[in-house]
Amino acid sequence: MRSAEDDAKTPEQSFWSNWSSWEEVDVQNSLGHDPLFVFPKDKLVEEGSNVTICYVSRSPQSNISCYLEGVQMQGEQLEPNVTVFNLNHVAFIRETGTNIYCKGDQGDSIKGIVLFVSKVLEEPKEFSCETQDLTTLNCTWDPGSDTGLLKQLSQSYTLFESFSGKKTLCKHKSWCSWEVAPESQEMYNFTLTAENYLRKRSVHLLFNLTHRVHPMAPFSVLFTDVSTTNATMTWKVHSTGNYYTLLCQVKLYGEGEVTQHNVSVEVDGEQLFSGLEPDTEYRAQVRCANANHFWKWSEWTHQNFTTAEAAPSEAPDVWRNVKSVQGHSVVTLFWKPLSKLQANGKILFYNIVIENLDRSSSSKFLSIPAPANGTELNLDQCSYQIHVTAHNSVGTSPASVIIVSGDPGNKEVEEERVKGTEDGFSLSWKPQPGNVTGYIVEWCDRPRGPLCDLQWKSVGPTTTSTVVSSDAFRPGVQYNFRIYGISTERVPYLLEKKTGYSQELAPSDNPQVVMSNLTSRSFTLSWKDYSIESQPSFIQGYHVYLKSKAGQCHSGSEKAVLSDDAVCCKYKIDNPKQKTFVVENLQPESFYEFLVTPYSSVGEGPHGAFTKVTTPDEYSPILIRVILPMVFCILLIMIICYLKSQWMKEKCYPDIPDPYKSSVLSLIKSKENPRLTIMNIKDCVPDSIEVLNKQEGTRKSLTETESSKPTYLYLLPTEESYSGPGPCICFENFTYNQAASDSASCGHVPVAPKAPPSQLALLTSPENLLKALEENYMNSLGEIPAGETSLNYVSQLASAMTGDKFSLPTNPPEPALCSEYKMQMAIPLGLASPPSSGSSSLSSFTLLDEGEHYH
Amino acid sequence: MDLRAGDSWGMLACLCTVLWHLPAVPALNRTGDPGPGPSIQKTYDLTRYLEHQLRSLAGTYLNYLGPPFNEPDFNPPRLGAETLPRATVNLDVWRSLNDKLRLTQNYEAYSHLLCYLRGLNRQAATAELRRSLAHFCTSLQGLLGSIAGVMAALGYPLPQPLPGTEPTWAPGPAHSDFLQKMDDFWLLKELQTWLWRSAKDFNRLKKKMQPPAAAVTLHLEARGF
Repeated sequence: MRSAEDDAKTPEQSFWSNWSSWEEVDVQNSLGHDPLFVFPKDKLVEEGSNVTICYVSRSPQSNISCYLEGVQMQGEQLEPNVTVFNLNHVAFIRETGTNIYCKGDQGDSIKGIVLFVSKVLEEPKEFSCETQDLTTLNCTWDPGSDTGLLKQLSQSYTLFESFSGKKTLCKHKSWCSWEVAPESQEMYNFTLTAENYLRKRSVHLLFNLTHRVHPMAPFSVLFTDVSTTNATMTWKVHSTGNYYTLLCQVKLYGEGEVTQHNVSVEVDGEQLFSGLEPDTEYRAQVRCANANHFWKWSEWTHQNFTTAEAAPSEAPDVWRNVKSVQGHSVVTLFWKPLSKLQANGKILFYNIVIENLDRSSSSKFLSIPAPANGTELNLDQCSYQIHVTAHNSVGTSPASVIIVSGDPGNKEVEEERVKGTEDGFSLSWKPQPGNVTGYIVEWCDRPRGPLCDLQWKSVGPTTTSTVVSSDAFRPGVQYNFRIYGISTERVPYLLEKKTGYSQELAPSDNPQVVMSNLTSRSFTLSWKDYSIESQPSFIQGYHVYLKSKAGQCHSGSEKAVLSDDAVCCKYKIDNPKQKTFVVENLQPESFYEFLVTPYSSVGEGPHGAFTKVTTPDEYSPILIRVILPMVFCILLIMIICYLKSQWMKEKCYPDIPDPYKSSVLSLIKSKENPRLTIMNIKDCVPDSIEVLNKQEGTRKSLTETESSKPTYLYLLPTEESYSGPGPCICFENFTYNQAASDSASCGHVPVAPKAPPSQLALLTSPENLLKALEENYMNSLGEIPAGETSLNYVSQLASAMTGDKFSLPTNPPEPALCSEYKMQMAIPLGLASPPSSGSSSLSSFTLLDEGEHYH
Repeated sequence: MDLRAGDSWGMLACLCTVLWHLPAVPALNRTGDPGPGPSIQKTYDLTRYLEHQLRSLAGTYLNYLGPPFNEPDFNPPRLGAETLPRATVNLDVWRSLNDKLRLTQNYEAYSHLLCYLRGLNRQAATAELRRSLAHFCTSLQGLLGSIAGVMAALGYPLPQPLPGTEPTWAPGPAHSDFLQKMDDFWLLKELQTWLWRSAKDFNRLKKKMQPPAAAVTLHLEARGF
């Protein structure tokens, strides 16, 4: 153990006493009955110190484990029941200290300590004192890290002034106030001491109070006599004593410029600003410092003011666009808003005076409220002088004069191409021999838009080139520039035209191609509607790609490989105005594909879809040339035939005379000459008649199956058949009418009693059979007795027998029962109309008369 | 009793009259004294809220103390914390507690714990921790008032603090910082155990005070029918 004197006046001069002598203590006896002890108890050390921990257990057999922040420590066993742990360079962990504890393996005994590790106390940095009002000194410093712990308060700071011998305990960690002595002490020698439980650190400061004056910021900053170009600024400063002079710094910010003034001030400050811009807001600020012994500037004090408005200083930049509509000139006036420096205030309106130069007495006045930047005028073909002035609340700007001539003077000017860059278009033109007052370059920012957004740029008379740039310029858009010269009479006239792209792009689309004149050897392509002006670059020509299976390219074309590795023939058209192309040397009946794409200096159009075409064969046109006239001729003949059908009918197929309408019959009848027989059928005696059954669905009956075999009629006169009461033939066919078959199961056919054998052959065919029957009928009609052997022939060309036919039914030569046979014969022949249902089977010969048989 | 069919209108009128006067029946009148039931419920809810709040606070504070106090399996012998009221009690003893004793034990325990907790707050080094502890102390004060309200509703007097037994937070010179941290640890642990126990206490009280299922017997005299 040793001791030292603690004196604030001489902190560095502490002298320690000599160490006391060692004394030995019996731990076991002094500790009492607890089974475990850990030492030292709640130690406070500085960061980086070396600490030794030990535990003493009452029982040497106990298995004790010790932990530092939860991590087991390895110690050195001094004795069976004493173990030490050496901790080197201990670090600060937390304000509540580092926990070290030991416990036995039974867990019933736990003992620990808290090792408080403090951060090392630092020397105060940047210690400084100053005053604002010479009554209070404010000392500040940087305290560094806090050494506070749960066990220990943060370090304290003490301010000691050696001349006055006063000492104050600072309430704050980083600053302290010191009352200036009323006896006007000028020199101060301060000692700032930082102290905690373990250490003291001190710093010193010696200064003259008047050299440490930090004035307060000026106040009451005002602006008086503010005109268009001048203003006076005044301010006040806080008093720091009667004999101090302040140096004030004044800064003026306006329109991106800064001006600075230094002013010496005792009580009030004043500064005149001149050369200001009208209607401009300025920002002024002022700060002050001790002029005699500069220490620090005060804080800035800011204030804004705005100068008064003045009349606009410049005439508005005016341009026009003239269009002739139905004998009138539609003049669109444009003007650019004046800049802030030119306007000198807020522009309220624009006045336009239109003066007719041809009739000097006529003038017109317009007032356009701002912020309009143009107007449209309808003028006649006279020349006009237009004055445009801008007005603000103070006055009028100079007039901008432009002449609109009655003669549009649209002379043809060759258009030149210019190459643009990202920075714009560099345009130059030939100087005009006459007097010009300037040049104007005119263009549209949006040439594809409906409003065009007309822009212009005015240059002086000596300038013959300019660079036109605009944020609106886009790649792939063609811009047209017109350069006008302004004559001394202020009449603009067109000098040159330029056109170009700020950046050319490859054509984006291909023309719509129409194919025509397709032959077996060639076809024609045309794309008349393709506009080369609206393309994203100057079109230099076209490429015609032709794909074919043959893959051979003829002269005038070259082989080309497309992006999809397809090989085709490429024809090149150098003239962009040539919009037709004939593809020749083709093979008949071949499949081709073609594509027309424009090309420019930056590339060609997209290789889109090819159009497919197949050439016809060579003979088709010839055939068409032959067949078409033939078809036409046939059609013509058919039409003529149709129109002349009556004539044709008479000539080609006249009507077949009706025997019954023949005049012969009347002649026969009138003459009553029985000898005029038309045909003698005496020799035509049929021996049999084959009756063929024709099955018709509507007439089927239950007996149909019974009559499936043909029925043969034996017509040869035999003794038995002819000697009977009547020549009847029995039918077994009940197909057509059951009732008839029931009621008349047999029919009687009138048969010529002596039919000649020669007639038999005629009956082998149905036609002949019919004829035979007709002849029978005619015989009966002619009232010839059945037994008469001589025959009368009646010519079929004889005149019709009118009236008699109606009497035919009235005089049936044979009984009605025999008529069924006739009917049966009539149907399979097919010469007569089909019998009407229900009555046909029972009809007599009357049904075979003119109504059905001959019509 | 002779009921005729023609008297059905009369019975309906009587039933309507009874229903009309039903709110005037004392057993069903809600505007009367609700008893200690709601207070117990509120106290129960408050213990659950404090239990949740303490979980967060204890985590922060034990980290502030450092290892081994913030280790989850740290379970030291209860040394030097004998003055803290013990929450653990034999189950049969706990069941046999009457309402008054149960409430009195709660009240006394929280009175002591609140006092210790305020001492803890005074010693906390960080402002954030002091704010959290002050907030918790306010909540615990509310719990104490709520228990006092329940006791008053049941007509039990509040226990008077015995003179000289006022707990203090002034460790003696022999009380080491490590033991102080142990006391802090046990304070938070005991407080948590008390909040668990109180939740059970007030749940038991709540069930006990809950009136049986409402059974209203209306005695209708049928005279006159």
